[in-house]
Amino acid sequence: MIRRYKFHALTVLLLVPAASCIGSTGGDLVEIDAYAAGPTTLVKGQPYRFTNDRGFDVTLDAAKIHIGALYLNQSVPTSVASDTSCFLAGIYVAELTSGRDVDVLDPTLQPFPTTGFATTERARTAEVWLSGGDVETRSDPTIIVSVRGTAVSGTESYPFEAAITISDNRVVTPPDPALPGAKPICKQRIVSPISVDITPSERGSLVVRVDPAGWFGNVDFSELEQVGDNPSRYRFRDDGTDQPSRALYAGIRANAGVYALSWEDSSGG
Amino acid sequence: MRIAPSIALVAWTTCVTHAAFAQPSSPEVPHAGEVPHATPPADAPASDTVGASDTRPAAVVSRVEPPYPPSRLESEHGPDEPLPDVDVELEVSIDEAGAITSVKVLTSGGAEFDQQATEAVQSWAFSPALENGRAIASKLHIPMHFEPPPHPEPPPPIDVSVTARRPPPSRGGGDYRISIGQLDAVPHPTAAKLLELAPSVFLMKDGGGEGHAERVYLRGFDAREGQDIEFSVNGIPINEAGNYHGNGYADLNFIIPELVMNLRVLEGPFDPRQGNFAVAGSADYDLGLKKRGLTAKLTYGAFNTSRLLLMWGPEAETDRTYAAAEINHTDGFGQNRDSSRARAMGQYEGRLGDAGSFRVSTAAYFSEYHSAGLLREDDVTAGKVGFYDTYDPRQGGSAARIHTGVDFETKHEQTVFGLQVFGAYTNLRLRENLTGYLLDTQLARQQPHEQRGDLIDLSDSGGMFGLRGFGRQGFELFGQKQEAEVGLLARGDLVGATQQRDLANTGAPYKTDADLDSRLGDVGMYGDLSLRLLEWLVVRGGAHVDLFAYNVEDLCAVKDVSRPDSDNPPGDAACLTQQRFGDYREANQRSSTATIRAMPRVSVLLGPFTGFSFSAGYGQGVRSIDPSYITQDVETPFSSIDSFETSASYAKSFDALALAVQNVFFVTHVDKDQIFSETEGRATLANGTTRAGWAASVRATGDFFDASLSLSLVTSRFDDTGLVVPYVPDVVFRHDGALFHDLFDLDDSPVRGRVGLGVGVVGARALPYGQRSDVIATLDAGTSLAWRFLELEVQGTNLMNLQYRESEFNYASDFDPSNPETLVPARHFAAGQPLGIFVSLSGTLGGNS
Repeated sequence: MIRRYKFHALTVLLLVPAASCIGSTGGDLVEIDAYAAGPTTLVKGQPYRFTNDRGFDVTLDAAKIHIGALYLNQSVPTSVASDTSCFLAGIYVAELTSGRDVDVLDPTLQPFPTTGFATTERARTAEVWLSGGDVETRSDPTIIVSVRGTAVSGTESYPFEAAITISDNRVVTPPDPALPGAKPICKQRIVSPISVDITPSERGSLVVRVDPAGWFGNVDFSELEQVGDNPSRYRFRDDGTDQPSRALYAGIRANAGVYALSWEDSSGG
Repeated sequence: MRIAPSIALVAWTTCVTHAAFAQPSSPEVPHAGEVPHATPPADAPASDTVGASDTRPAAVVSRVEPPYPPSRLESEHGPDEPLPDVDVELEVSIDEAGAITSVKVLTSGGAEFDQQATEAVQSWAFSPALENGRAIASKLHIPMHFEPPPHPEPPPPIDVSVTARRPPPSRGGGDYRISIGQLDAVPHPTAAKLLELAPSVFLMKDGGGEGHAERVYLRGFDAREGQDIEFSVNGIPINEAGNYHGNGYADLNFIIPELVMNLRVLEGPFDPRQGNFAVAGSADYDLGLKKRGLTAKLTYGAFNTSRLLLMWGPEAETDRTYAAAEINHTDGFGQNRDSSRARAMGQYEGRLGDAGSFRVSTAAYFSEYHSAGLLREDDVTAGKVGFYDTYDPRQGGSAARIHTGVDFETKHEQTVFGLQVFGAYTNLRLRENLTGYLLDTQLARQQPHEQRGDLIDLSDSGGMFGLRGFGRQGFELFGQKQEAEVGLLARGDLVGATQQRDLANTGAPYKTDADLDSRLGDVGMYGDLSLRLLEWLVVRGGAHVDLFAYNVEDLCAVKDVSRPDSDNPPGDAACLTQQRFGDYREANQRSSTATIRAMPRVSVLLGPFTGFSFSAGYGQGVRSIDPSYITQDVETPFSSIDSFETSASYAKSFDALALAVQNVFFVTHVDKDQIFSETEGRATLANGTTRAGWAASVRATGDFFDASLSLSLVTSRFDDTGLVVPYVPDVVFRHDGALFHDLFDLDDSPVRGRVGLGVGVVGARALPYGQRSDVIATLDAGTSLAWRFLELEVQGTNLMNLQYRESEFNYASDFDPSNPETLVPARHFAAGQPLGIFVSLSGTLGGNS
């Protein structure tokens, strides 16, 4: 009788962890991979040809963008600009905080250097952070976009180049002196809200495709600053003081028509 | 306890006296204890019917004296009502051989005396009568005189302690009355850790440091630092109402563990005496000092820990009279865990008349400490920080407590009265940084700034005063003893709390989260009836009614404005004095409200049946709301609790073993729960939850061992989603055991050895986002040798030197401001203490050493 009901302490200790896994708090934390690339219609090594909204035929020979971080969050995109902080803790679903330079003329997936993390909650908004370091630091020498190409309109040809930064040159003076913090530099670096409908899962991949054609949609190449003659060379200013530089900067920060994020359940590449 | 041997002595003395009282006296004055006897009067010749010529009557050769009838002695006669002398005369017929042929009562003294005399004479031996040298039959008349023994001197009065107080009656299986006993051989570094002797209790520190109250889990509740458990020490309330870190914060670090004699842990709100904060249950510490005399104890050990403890128990006083003082310092393990502490406690217990007692108690405590906080798992994995490191060395704080209380209890026949008044001052300074550089939002009205750091700097101080009283009346009903009790607990709290955020570079505050001045009142009354319907059936229950009153001034009521005045912009100020479009207002806002809650509680107890007992109980509880949620005249959203439990228990004492087994099933529902928010650094309101579980415990004590074992299984879920409540342990297992015995003699004095072992296992806890923490398993042990007035003790904690995570969380933080923010929840943890060895040497002068 005693042997039949003999009590094993080890059995209890083994039962303890077994009984510990009943029920869930909901959701999951997963590791994710992330990739960036140019449009799928491109051919690696070949220039990208398109016509912008102003009728210029543009040939891009080189185009790169530095993406500092990617985020997904639960908030639903709205058309009203918010005066709140650049980010609100508690709403983020996924993040990829190690940046990389992306050749946007290359359609093949270019991996980000480290994995990211996500919860398995539904994301409705994506954010692309164009920063070299802390998004709130005023001065940042990182070249965010570099491009080289030629724009043609009729018989006029405009070979151009651009190196765009987001630093002290992008600080916006707030119109209301009572609201000095209304236009923080971080808002210049965060492209948002980008509409998505993504629910991350275990070992899935986040893919962001960048279409550089959207950067030049409203650029009037005829107003570019000429910096060279014979051959002619034109350059985009990095200060927003002329139409082309303002239009290019606006295109880089456009939340529609430039950045497309998607989710793939198996690693790509 | 001192009463038991005293009563035993009284009983023994009575029995001895009774036995002495049972012997009748001889005509001679008997000596005390001498068995008196009935004898023929010295001058009374034996009469016979033998003829006078050369005759010799029969003679008594040997005899046995008959005692005074015991049945007559058992009747109560005091010294003023002596027992009578009684005479009996017998006629005894004796044959030629000298044998008794018949006995006849000639003069009766009463049936009892006749019987005693007759039985006694039957054993007498006679020689036959002789006539002319020839044996003949004859008869003898034998008178017998019974004289009662003298009434004995009453024994000297035995000073039975009348100061011991009867604890409240049991509420069933979840009402754990824990006597520490020999289990103090198991390392319990704090008085709070002793709570783990009750089943389903688990404590941990969230990286909060030595001076921070411990986080308590009980029956599936995350009671935080005591917000869901009503704590008291010798009846003095400990929960701090209005504490901004957690309403009901209870810091038990002021208690010197060596003074804890007993602990009552009542799991669930089943006793009408339980008041505010008794959501998961209540815990009452009963302090005292068994070892009398003057004891000095010096400890040194791991992490450069040193401790000096002095305790004094006057020999002529009860064990509830004591004084103790302690100073302690440790460098702590790893980084930033040092602490210094001093505490003193004292109590005097005295008699009040013939049947009353009073106690005066006081305590003082001061502590300064640093804490390591929490670490990100990914940073530890990547080698950015070590397992025992810290992100922010500014974390830590200080704590202080001073309290005093006076109480008395008196009994008159079946009525008991008690009254206690108390007052306390507490002060808490807490600095912790759980999120790094994440929460400093840029407001439009502020100058552009980067993340300035999330270090919380909380200062909370309060004064509490109150009284507790009760009246208990015994009476008879249904042929059984019954009891009714009414009582009250009234307390007022004056609390000031300020929570700010400090700059990472200079430590200066840059933002005020809260600045509250609270005046809180709580008046509770209860009625409790204990009805024994049958010998084995008791119904106990009643109701507790509380009125909670709030008068809260928010000194920083306006923290932002959407349309600030352009001519007078508020800038970076945290507490504003303007509304929209610059309309002026004061920075403060006062709110007041009051609410009454009535909470019924009832328990049914059956047994014992050959040691087995059963119970069922229902109770409602309430948790008063955090003052920061008060709105003028709006009924305060209290958290209400409904709790059910049923139990089966067994308790039996054998020759060398006392065994107690308890087995409890419980269900508890809370309509508005509290869940810890890492971003706010405090508990915040959540939705309703339900907990269901089972707890079992065994305690066995013997001549050389004392062991307890407990296991609990709980499931805790949100009512709306069915999801598991995070951070609450599903499984808690605990074993504490001690062996003790005299080992050998040294210089004619025994050397007594003790060994204690403590094993704790906590199952993987549910974390947010579907995660589970690690299983925690700890092994602690202690051993000691005591000889005369000396004792050498060695204790070890985490003997397996496991590198384990004492607490784990999933939330977002960012401790590296130079890189893009980490905004998605990640695993964080507080490291558990590694192996620690501590050696103590103590000496006791006087007392019973």
